[in-house]
Amino acid sequence: MSMLRGFLVLVLFFILGESVRVLLALPVSGGVLGMVVITFTLMVKGSVSDDLASASQGLISVLVLLIMPGVVGVFFTADQFSGQWLAVAAALLVGTFLSVLTTLALMKLVTVRGERHRE
Amino acid sequence: MNELFSRFGVLSDTLAATPILAISLTLGAFFAGNWLFARIGRPLWLPPVLLSACLLATVIAVLALDYQAYHQGARWLTVLLGPATVALGIPLYQQMHHIRAMWRPIVVTLPIAATMAAVYAVVIGWALGARPQVLASLAPKSVTAPIAIGITEQLGGSVPLMMGGLLITGVVATLFVDLLARYLPVRDERIVGFALGLNGHAIGTARAFEISHTAGAFASLGMGLTGVFTALILPLVFRL
Repeated sequence: MSMLRGFLVLVLFFILGESVRVLLALPVSGGVLGMVVITFTLMVKGSVSDDLASASQGLISVLVLLIMPGVVGVFFTADQFSGQWLAVAAALLVGTFLSVLTTLALMKLVTVRGERHRE
Repeated sequence: MNELFSRFGVLSDTLAATPILAISLTLGAFFAGNWLFARIGRPLWLPPVLLSACLLATVIAVLALDYQAYHQGARWLTVLLGPATVALGIPLYQQMHHIRAMWRPIVVTLPIAATMAAVYAVVIGWALGARPQVLASLAPKSVTAPIAIGITEQLGGSVPLMMGGLLITGVVATLFVDLLARYLPVRDERIVGFALGLNGHAIGTARAFEISHTAGAFASLGMGLTGVFTALILPLVFRL
């Protein structure tokens, strides 16, 4: 029961996010808007109810399950890459490798420098 | 005997007509993938999501199910992605003290890293001769699916191609973060989590929650910020 009560809160914030997205014609998804709004609401409120915490934990723990139907699509839409396989594969693999490297290196650099600055 | 066979045909049609088949296949593959993952010693290069997806794809192909029909049935699960995205706000709130302490690195890293995630892919694709439509589909590859669909449509790319790129990016970003974090080395799980969310959207975030609650919160933050930032910047940049 308590988990369902929390789920209702999440769904309501999702509807709120979708409403904001459609009414203001934003390019950002309703889920992300709902996430931003619920985070700020909790910050103002200063606490999170057990219902909401357990519902969110439940959903997050099955996140992989929820994205699986989409992941499977790769195997069935692969023919759309035809003729440009090399370019697409290289862009995805090498591009992602470089962007992960950039993120980690940059983040590490700024964090370490920040900590040194404080000492 | 023949009659029994024809009834089998009716049975499969009956089951395929409801979302129950798609849901049970997805759930089954999810648990089978996790079980197999634990059995083969949790290899970094083969995350459970990829394992489960391969199993599921095999089953769909073997049973000769129509992918579109499967996808339609699985909407009962995928529709939960919306509330699940909202749910990411709760760990974000619970970890706010960690995020406050890291605001400087986040503010410096995010715009550069999120821009470069798109730029690397577009430049490499362009250098190897990909068409503009393909480039527009590759650009939002690190953005979470619901936002990326909007961006691709705005840029004039192909949504199925983008989805494929998105999913491959999520899986390889997870692998590269695990690998590079070990060799650089980066041991701070806040940084690892942020990199997972920024580069690997929901797939990276799911992986980050396997590491720890803190890593997961930073991944949610990275995913959300990258999505919003890219949605605002990319349509402007692409026009040039």
